[in-house]
Amino acid sequence: MSTEQSTDTPMVEVRNVHKRFGDLEVLKGINLTVNRGKIISIIGPSGSGKSTLLRSVNHLEVIDEGAILLDGVQVNRPDMKGLAFERHINTIRQNMGMVFQHFNLFPHLSTIDNVTLAPRKLKGMDKKAARELGMQQLERVGLAEKADVFPNWLSGGQKQRVAIARALAMKPKVMLFDEATSALDPELVEEVNRVMRSLADEHMTMLIVTHEMSFARDVSDWALFMDGGVVVEECTPDKLFSNPDQERTRNFLQKHLGNNH
Amino acid sequence: MEFDFTPVVTYFPTLLKGVGVGSLVAIAVALMSVIGGLVVAVISIYTKKLVSWPLRFFIWLFMTTPLLLQLYFLYFGLGEWILIPAIVVGILGLGFHYMAYNADIFIATIKSVSDGQYEASRSLGFGHWNTILYIIVPQAFIRSIPQLGNNMILMVKDTSVLSAIGVAELVYASQYAISVSFRPFEFFIVIALMYYVINILMELGQAWLERQTAYRR
Repeated sequence: MSTEQSTDTPMVEVRNVHKRFGDLEVLKGINLTVNRGKIISIIGPSGSGKSTLLRSVNHLEVIDEGAILLDGVQVNRPDMKGLAFERHINTIRQNMGMVFQHFNLFPHLSTIDNVTLAPRKLKGMDKKAARELGMQQLERVGLAEKADVFPNWLSGGQKQRVAIARALAMKPKVMLFDEATSALDPELVEEVNRVMRSLADEHMTMLIVTHEMSFARDVSDWALFMDGGVVVEECTPDKLFSNPDQERTRNFLQKHLGNNH
Repeated sequence: MEFDFTPVVTYFPTLLKGVGVGSLVAIAVALMSVIGGLVVAVISIYTKKLVSWPLRFFIWLFMTTPLLLQLYFLYFGLGEWILIPAIVVGILGLGFHYMAYNADIFIATIKSVSDGQYEASRSLGFGHWNTILYIIVPQAFIRSIPQLGNNMILMVKDTSVLSAIGVAELVYASQYAISVSFRPFEFFIVIALMYYVINILMELGQAWLERQTAYRR
């Protein structure tokens, strides 16, 4: 770890995390720290476990071993059951923004309602204040004029930007991006990347799973290469993308960059 | 054969009263079967087998036996112990019958809402039941409208079956008039037309609802 990283306080900590699907172990003892205001990118081939890891942080996947902490509070709590755990995880999740590959906007709600539903129902915000907050978030992603439009009338890039606004409206401590641009047409990728860059400029803490190598290289403070359920290599993005130590990393990058450029 | 519609005109107020009773029954049954069907569907999907299996049995039971038999069972069967007014039996009987059919629709549409919707809602911090309430059920409902509309049109026509237990809806109301006027054909033509008009209106309403919600799917 770089000295700059270790002097900061950790926002997300992943400690020796194991995850199995039946006989298949997809995470084999992952350790990872995301410090406050830092951006970490995870790259790797499909099936490497990178998405499972990100989903585990949000507890959408339940890990079998290890611990995940958000701002010092343990996310997974094998000791808690039923309603007590439900309350615990709901509170935790309100502090984490998650952005999905397929956007998952709520199609029955207008854009602004997609953004304000959680603040209204979970934080008890009144309609007027919520709308104000929602408009701020939509402005942040450049879609204020689409406030009263329904998701089906938006392009993929616009949908993903609304999804980001929806996550931001809860004022999360960290944003998790699960291949946020993988389902987009190439010409729509940049508008989403631009929004993510602006979040980086605001020092949002981010954990990004991506196939966008050049984007990862540009915005990240730290980069990981995962394969076969382990972190093969982690270092600064410049080093990872130009001069990695590991053979597997080099092979992956060669294949990937060779295909795309 | 010559047509003579004068008895129909004479007894038209009686027929209208029948439409009134039938409509009242239909509205009550619609509310009961849609709301009840939704509750049954949600419970049968999201609760433990101990709760969900009896409900699934209930759906199965009402879908595999004739409506008329169910009505007789409720009216004459339960009538041995408690006296319930025919109209209440009619509403309950039709209500349960269509509740089962509507539940069957809702079960399918609830399951058709993608897991991504559930996950997105949970990731925002909504709990399991809040996610069902705010995210899953509204989307499932919108997807159910075409089939619900069909069921409700069938249901309106089935209100005529209630004449068998003496509910004074349209068909029952016509029976006295027919028996004194000896003009069954004329009455049945007019009654058929009345059902036709009601159902056309319902279809228009359904089409309008579908248009209103098309972009929310």
